[in-house]
Order: sequence, then C-alpha cells, then structure tokens
Amino acid sequence: MRLSRKTRLLSAVLAPMLALTACSGGSGGSGGKTGGGTGGGDEQVKLTVWSWDGTVAEAVAGFQSANPNIKVQVANAGSSQDEYQALDNAIQAGSGVPDLVMFEYFAVPYFAIPGKLADLGEFGVDKLKADYVPASWSDVTVNGKVYALPSDYGPSAMFYNKATFDKAGIDKAPVTWDEYYEDAKKIRALGPDYYIAQDTGDIFFLLSLIWQAGGRPFKVDGTKVHIDFTDPNTTRAVAFWQKLLDEKLLNTKITGWSDDWNRALNDGTLATQTMGGWLTSTLPERAPKASGDFRVALMPQWTQGDKVGAANGGSSFGIPAAAAHKDAAFKFLEYFAHGGGLSSRVDAGAFVPNTTVLDNEAFQSKVNKYFGDQKVGAVLAEATEIVGTGWQYPPFFEWARTIYTDIASPFYTTGKGSLAGILQQWKQRCVQYGNEQGFQVD
Amino acid sequence: MDIDQARGPDVGASAMADPGVARRSAPTRKRRKSRTGLAFIAPFGALFLLVFVVPILYAAYLSLFQERLVGGTTFAGFANYGKLIQDPQFWDGVARVVRFTLIQVPIMLIFAMAVALALDSMRVHGTRFMRVTIFLPYAVPAIVSTLMWGFLLGIKYGLFGSLNDALGTDINPFAPGTTLISIGVMVTWAFTGFNMLIFYAALKAVPRQLYEAAAIDGANEFQIVRAIKLPALRGSLVVTIIFSIIGTFQMFNEPQILPSMVANSGVTTFYTPNLYAYHLAFTGSQQGYAAALALVMAAITIAVAYAVQIRGLRNATDQ
Repeated sequence: MRLSRKTRLLSAVLAPMLALTACSGGSGGSGGKTGGGTGGGDEQVKLTVWSWDGTVAEAVAGFQSANPNIKVQVANAGSSQDEYQALDNAIQAGSGVPDLVMFEYFAVPYFAIPGKLADLGEFGVDKLKADYVPASWSDVTVNGKVYALPSDYGPSAMFYNKATFDKAGIDKAPVTWDEYYEDAKKIRALGPDYYIAQDTGDIFFLLSLIWQAGGRPFKVDGTKVHIDFTDPNTTRAVAFWQKLLDEKLLNTKITGWSDDWNRALNDGTLATQTMGGWLTSTLPERAPKASGDFRVALMPQWTQGDKVGAANGGSSFGIPAAAAHKDAAFKFLEYFAHGGGLSSRVDAGAFVPNTTVLDNEAFQSKVNKYFGDQKVGAVLAEATEIVGTGWQYPPFFEWARTIYTDIASPFYTTGKGSLAGILQQWKQRCVQYGNEQGFQVD
Repeated sequence: MDIDQARGPDVGASAMADPGVARRSAPTRKRRKSRTGLAFIAPFGALFLLVFVVPILYAAYLSLFQERLVGGTTFAGFANYGKLIQDPQFWDGVARVVRFTLIQVPIMLIFAMAVALALDSMRVHGTRFMRVTIFLPYAVPAIVSTLMWGFLLGIKYGLFGSLNDALGTDINPFAPGTTLISIGVMVTWAFTGFNMLIFYAALKAVPRQLYEAAAIDGANEFQIVRAIKLPALRGSLVVTIIFSIIGTFQMFNEPQILPSMVANSGVTTFYTPNLYAYHLAFTGSQQGYAAALALVMAAITIAVAYAVQIRGLRNATDQ
C-alpha cells in the first residue's frame, strides 16, 4: 500500500520528463543517407512530402502520370511549429526524414544556417529566379544560396468593410496612413464597439508596417545577426501605430483568430484588417454574415503617390540535407511550385508569387462574389509586385516571436510603456538568446 | 540494457541444466526459489526500467548538454543547473504554482470534503445522481473545459460580458491580475469530484457499528462528524493533498490554451514551470535546459510531497 502510493507519486511527478525525453531524441547520427538517389531510370522511388498546404496534393496525379517511376506521398505532419519539431526530431534520429518539407519563410534560415537544408543551387534553381516576384525569392535565399522554392505568398493588403465605412461617411479606402488615421477617428465615433482594427501585440503586423516603411531591423550575414529598431524608417512606423494606440483608436481586447474576432468581423465592428492576402480564403468562412461587405485594397502608403508593400506570411518548400531522394524531390518541387502542376494548385485556391500566374489575364479578371464581385486577384497581384525587397528574418525568429508576447502583454493591458520600449527589450532578449545559440548578435 | 535484465532468469534456467550445478543442491534450491521470484517480477521490472528509469536517466543525461543552432550539442556539465538557479523566469513560475497551491488546494479539498460528508450523511436525496454529476467534470478533458470556461468567463460575448452589461460593472476574469483566480475556478470545478470520491470511499469504509455506538452515547450528527468521520478522513486527506500538489505543480493545459482565446490575459511563456519547459524545448530548442528544469521541478515536487506525507503520517500515528 505504502509502496504503491509512493510509486504512483513518483510516476505522477516524473510523467512530464518522459514526455520531454520522448521528443528530444539523441544527438548527431544524421549524416548517413546522403547523395542524390534516383530520379530517372526504371527504379521505383517513393517520395515523402510534408505539407499542410492542401493544394499540393492536387499536383500529384499529373506528376505521377508524367513520372511513372516516382510515387509521391503527401503527408500532413502538422502545421508550422509542430512540423518543424517533427523534422528536427527526424533529422536528429537520422530516420524518417521526408524528401520535401513545407516551411514558412521565416523558418527557412532556422534550418538552412545549421546545414539542415540542401542547397538547391546544385539542381540549377537559379534559372527559375526570373519567374518569381523578387521579394519572394529573397525570402528563400540565405547568405546568397537558395534553399527553398516559394509556394505561396502573403502580400500585405488592407481588407476593409465597405458597409462600416459607408456608415461612418467614408467614401473610399484610405490611400495613405494619414487618411487611415482620420478614418480611424470617424469609425471610432460610430459607437463604443467600433474600431478600425484590433491589436493585442501582433508582431507580424507590426513588422509588416516597418517593412513597408523601409525599415530592415534584422540583418543576417552568415552567423552574424544585427538588430536595430532605431533607424528613422522603423521609428516612423512604430510611432504611427503608437499614436493610434495612445488615442484608443484600436481595439486591444480582441485578439486575432479568436472567437471574439470572428464575431466582430461578422457584425462589422472591426472595419479593417491589414494582413496577408491569404485572408481572402479564410475570411468567407470566418465572417459569412459579412458577405458582400468586404473589399480589398493595397496597404495605405507612407507617402502620397508611393506604391510600396510588405509581406505577412507565406511559405515555401525545401529539401532536407538528409533526404534520401533529392533529385526526385526537386523534380516534384519544380513541378508543383513552378511547372506543369502550378495551375491545378492555383485553381484550388493557392496564391503563388509566380509572375506567370500573377500577370495572367484570367487570374486578374476573375471576380470574387464574397468581396462584392471585386477582382481580388488583380489587387493582390499588384500588392505582391510592390513588396519591398531585402527583408530578412533572424534564424531564431520562431523563438523570438513567442517571447514577444511576454514582453508586449504588460503594455497592452496597462498602457504603461511604449512600443519602442518593447522593441528595445525584445532586441536585448534576442541578442542574449542568439549569442547563447552560437550566433554573433548585436 | 533492460532487455538483458529481462533475460536474466532465462539464462539462469539454462544454467540449471548444467550437471555441475546439481552437486551443490541445497544452495541451488534456495537460489532457484529466488530466481523463480525474479522471473515473476521480470515483466514488471523490464517495463519499469524501460518506461520509468531509463527516461529519467536519459533526462538527467540530456540535462548535462547544451544545444546550439550553430555549433551543435556540447557537453556543459552542470551549467544548465547553474543557469536555472539564477533564472528569474523559472522562479517566477515556481512562485506562481506555489501560491496557487496554497490557496486553491485547501478551498477545493474543503469543498470536496463537505460534499462527501453531505452525501454520506444519508440526508440528501438522489445521492447517486449527485455523486456522478459532481464527478463528471473530472471526465471532461482539460482542453475542452478550458475552452468552455473561456467562453463562460469571456467579457466580450461570454457570461461576464452580460453580467457587466446588466450590473454596469467592469469585471474582467482574464485580466493579468485575475487570470490565476479564473484558472483556480476551472481546476476546482474539474477536480472537486475526484477528491470527493476518495473521501466518500474512505467514509464508506467506516464500520457502521461506530455510528450505532455514537448514537447510543447520544452524539448528534456534528459530534459524529468531528469524532468519527473527520479522523477517518485523515489518511485520504494526505493522499488528496499530495495528488493536488502534484497536479497544480504540473499545471499546463489551462495556461497553454488561454492565450489563443483571450488577449493579454497575463499568461507568459513561463507562466508555470511546465509551460516554460515546453517553450524552452520546443520553441527555444534548448532540450538540455528544459530537461534540467524538469528534473529540478520534480525534485521540488517530491520534496514537498514527501514533507506532506511524513507530517500527515506522523499526525496519524499520534492519535
């Protein structure tokens, strides 16, 4: 009795450690399987693809009929962080490494810099460069080498609720951020629940604002990372958003992707969302009652007459260095992200940064019923082509964005402090962590 | 390694066939007896090693290494432990769960005990129905219950939103200062039934003759509770306290899910030690540091639980 109680106690205490060790795997032991594998010849090759983008599967049938000796298996190993963990574990364990893996753009350097991704240069990837929007190409280039092919893109655009705008007496979408500020006040005047947008510390949004204003806070060169939030372009963007927060023009109670957010989008009390173009596909599901109310416009500009954009999200596919069938993997990658399989994915709803698609007349002139029969494709194509180039994410961005919330939360709840102060604190934490991780960060 | 251990008795069995062994028959029989015993516990022993001892040793081993994105894994000795001791975020989390335990556990256990005594008093109708109903929340997965309470306590569209509108108040159950109280409510709701069952079972084991004797002595219901029932609950109280301490020290689900529902509820990535370990291992890729944290946290929990057990048992023998 006593003993069993003690054992139960022990096992209850130590259970989380089991979970931990189960996931961490051993060290080293990758290496092993290298080299090309077989792309041609008669030998059967079985490709494993990890993707949470459902449109990739659309391209499989066409690819297999053109390449009967390659069998493609698309698996969903989880989204984003879950998948990255699974990949890290597989690489550490040295077995079960997939041949082709989906990465958000910010995750590419995380895997590329420690040498976990194959350099696609050996497959002649540079020939494809001209067919992609320049900003998307720089997203997959780390220290001058290309480690992935862009597969979908998130050009920042402003989704606005025209019905709410009409109610507030605003007759057109704001073209500059100054106009946006004036509109924010008009919408705020509609009632206690009305706001032009929400913000509870969305780092991706803030970075897209900085990106568009011309700030490049992260500079990555080899293992050197330079972080600076004090250049004039960055501070201009930050100060503007600070002004909106200070004047209580933003809803700081509703967090994106929550149930509250869905409701506010449905009833029109949140007038705009400045987000990646991918919102086009999820907005109709989240706000079915607002069907016909929303429109898409370019991000408001910092200077009248300018046309500069930013990106918010998007993803790509790369080949792990430890993959067994790299040649075949690249063949399939080229097929669905650039070649013959691309159109089937676009038809299934993928938004891709390929100029062949964006410049396509049919793509640009297609009307979208949810957005009041607007030609959404044309707007997003333009938003994609104006995205400012040269943006970089630090290789430890996944970690950095998680702790950003810790730092930002007190400001959003108490109003004490400032965005500039948060970013400064964030930088310090990044410097400390980055150096611990073996980078030279300053 | 553990597989060899499991095969031990088999090797012994084949050795017995050796004619040389037969000569020394007396000690062999004795050994054979103990070997038979070993064979019986071998399946347990193998599993125990595999799923219990080995992982702990492996965690201890991992905790001696540091992982870097650049430069890979290096041996670090006890550097992870040194760093942990000085990590204010770790101690912030520990202090939070200790504070939580000190307040939530007594409330929950008193509540559970009161319900168990009420059910055992035979003065309430529908005892069986009540018992199941109160126990039911325990069967609801923590993820579901957190979502449920998130809606219930939400100020925008939830119950508290309506309450605030009706009363003109401005109470936010998920403000940084009140989130821990809300989590306390969720945990109490979920685990009162479980503890109630333990108490109820202990009360059911009290011999009925004691009550008859008490009735003959003219004791009223409160005297019976004080003199018979509460002392009978002492043993199970120790068990429930230990379970509750372990449970609250390992709090994870609620603070993990809340941030996706409510903005700025004050839940940080290091809100509880377990949540911190999770973030260290899976977003910070510092498995070694996370393993060190898990081991230190386990040591703290074991120390506290043992202290409770020793004290509880000493008091039990005093009476």
